[in-house]
Amino acid sequence: MAENNIRLLLVDDEDGFKQPLAKRLGRRGLEALMASSGQEALSVLAEQPVDVVVLDVKMPGMDGLETLAKIRERHPGVEVILLTGHASTADGVEGIKAGAFDYLTKPIEFEHLLSKIGQAQDKRLRAREKREETAFREKIRQQMIATERLASLGTLAAGVAHEINNPLAIISESVGWLRSLLNKEELKDMPHRDGFIMALEKIETSKERAKRITHQLLGFARKTDSLIQETDLAVLLNEVSQLVAREAAAREVRVETDVPPESNRIFTDPNQLRQVVLNLVTNALQATPPGGLVRLLVRQEQNGLRLEVVDTGEGIPKENLQRIFEPFFSTKPPGKGTGLGLSVSLGIVEKLGGRIEVKSELGRGTTFCVHLPRHYTPAGRNSA
Amino acid sequence: MIKIPARILLVDDEKDFVEMLSLRLTEEGQRVTPAHSGQECLEILKEKEIDVVILDIKMPGMDGMETLREIKRLYPLVEVIMLTGHGTVETAVDGMKMGAFDYLVKPSNFQDLQEKLAAAQKRRYEQEERIRKAEAHALARRSGDMF
Repeated sequence: MAENNIRLLLVDDEDGFKQPLAKRLGRRGLEALMASSGQEALSVLAEQPVDVVVLDVKMPGMDGLETLAKIRERHPGVEVILLTGHASTADGVEGIKAGAFDYLTKPIEFEHLLSKIGQAQDKRLRAREKREETAFREKIRQQMIATERLASLGTLAAGVAHEINNPLAIISESVGWLRSLLNKEELKDMPHRDGFIMALEKIETSKERAKRITHQLLGFARKTDSLIQETDLAVLLNEVSQLVAREAAAREVRVETDVPPESNRIFTDPNQLRQVVLNLVTNALQATPPGGLVRLLVRQEQNGLRLEVVDTGEGIPKENLQRIFEPFFSTKPPGKGTGLGLSVSLGIVEKLGGRIEVKSELGRGTTFCVHLPRHYTPAGRNSA
Repeated sequence: MIKIPARILLVDDEKDFVEMLSLRLTEEGQRVTPAHSGQECLEILKEKEIDVVILDIKMPGMDGMETLREIKRLYPLVEVIMLTGHGTVETAVDGMKMGAFDYLVKPSNFQDLQEKLAAAQKRRYEQEERIRKAEAHALARRSGDMF
């Protein structure tokens, strides 16, 4: 028999029947609501949570079967036990076909009813468990697909980057050679020499830019060991705040750090973490209009610490929130940024045993939360 | 920087890269021999005196690490500078544990390459000096014993 907190609703037009029944059920620890008609039952169900309904088939007004149909339609999680008259077992069978859990013929045996109520509740709970399990599985499946996609993108990215570094090296040496030739005595007075030099400079700059991208991509897929040491997050936030001071001033955006006095130390890789925070703060600065504010906070959590980067910027549209951690996803114009920052940052944080969350409101601002465990485990199996 | 021309062996399967870097290094006064595979590299080392090998890690056929192992086994005094397009620090560190002098990531800065070449060349030269002194010492002692 299921637990004694089953929420019951007794529906019968005869008070003389349902009052004593309710009392008996009450003595067994089962509180029952009551209704005298199908209509009233539906009102009650609309207001209060009910698990099992015990429903008389023969009632004036809306009869039992009609009520049953409406209950199944509006409250599919509720189980219904029909009470039929002695001569109308056909109604009972009809009811089961229409979705009732079972039926009992009057006069009912109390223990029998109790047992049916218990079984109905068991069915309810099993059905709910199954739904939750299916939803959970689906969520995990989606997560795994996303993770696998990121992982294969990472491997792909690394492969591509590596391939690209070779022609980049050739471009680099060729430019160097051309420069070297242009500096020779014989070419001192060559026509358009300046034009050649300018063009070579541009090739050189672009080569450097391409190199930065490939190296970032390779970092994205890197399997290096982190340098784990005791790190004071307050110090780290201040460092980042200083690093961006000039850009912030140029954008007329204030950067504030908010660090509580208690210990903000955790075991992590300060260099990689600094890279992550710098990435988040840079993004925040770029999204915030002049006069705005970017705040860096540290807060204690049960298993570790939380870093927050909060801005008063334009916010991120809901449809993009899912995608911002994807490699190459960027809302910046071409040439500005690689779209890799957040995906690299996510990779770093996860390798450090933590996770990143983002909340955003268009026109109000965005908050990135980096949750980190206090102690780093090599396998990265922490719950932060 | 001592401008003694180093005898350099440049090994990379990318022919254009070898060609352009050779031109630049030769312009700087180095003597460069090209090779396009690990196999070719070892064959050249059999025939020629080489001071420093610039060796690409990822090559088809005999790859860079294997070639490095062989060079260190057969010609332990030759210095090797690894070139990697790969960017993973692990490979570079592994190489250095196997005896490589240093490493550079492609595309490399020419200045950096020159500095590392000079350093490798210096170590090679000093090593040779020590060997010469040791040999002279051994010779002197032997002649001493003979009389």
